[in-house]
Amino acid sequence: MNLFRSEEHARRWEAFRQESEEGFIALPDLAGLFGTESRRHMLDADYLSRWYPLRAAERRDYLARIGKTSPFWLGTPAPSA
Amino acid sequence: MTSVESVDPAMTDRMWSRITRALVDTGRPPHYAELARALGVSPAESRTILHAVLQAYPIGWVHPDTDYIASFPPLNGLPTQYRVTVRGEQKWFAQCGFEATSVTWLFPGERVRTDVACLDCGDPLAVEMLDGRLTRVDPPTVVGHLNYGFGPSRGRTPYL
Repeated sequence: MNLFRSEEHARRWEAFRQESEEGFIALPDLAGLFGTESRRHMLDADYLSRWYPLRAAERRDYLARIGKTSPFWLGTPAPSA
Repeated sequence: MTSVESVDPAMTDRMWSRITRALVDTGRPPHYAELARALGVSPAESRTILHAVLQAYPIGWVHPDTDYIASFPPLNGLPTQYRVTVRGEQKWFAQCGFEATSVTWLFPGERVRTDVACLDCGDPLAVEMLDGRLTRVDPPTVVGHLNYGFGPSRGRTPYL
């Protein structure tokens, strides 16, 4: 889960996996994905019990909104798995 | 208290908040023994609570074979290439490039800048945020990349 100068730089990275060609995300989308409602409560006293458990559903919803609905992004098994 | 499973969720909430607050205030995670008195428990109980926290929050981890908190996202105890600067002071590290965009929520009302060297070319990249908004991206072509998928297909945690 890294930041690169551009997509081309990521593809030239020695550890780049061909399977991750769909793993790019624009910075504004990334800030949105990591800025869902639960994230805004990380300084709350009950964050771990109340807010953290909401993260997975928030992430799925946000990814669907930006069109990232593949198993790679949603964390579901690939059809061939 | 004998097992991680028996820990009261109110106590794991308190420890999670203490660890996060220590990271925000000092840039480093505390040791469980440092937290014991504040939580009103023994050091041994504090250790059990720490592991209960990490069971509930598995995206953080201790250094292998130790009880030292290495990663507690969005921040990291172990230095990473994601150097975080707030109020002109660089004393924080983000867990990864994705979590770097979440650090902003730990510093409300502050500009949070992440400086990182591109893993391909080593060129400096900078991303600045204020209350969740991107305020500066240099160069503008900076992009996020997930090398392993989320979930079951993910790779070893520190190397995603």
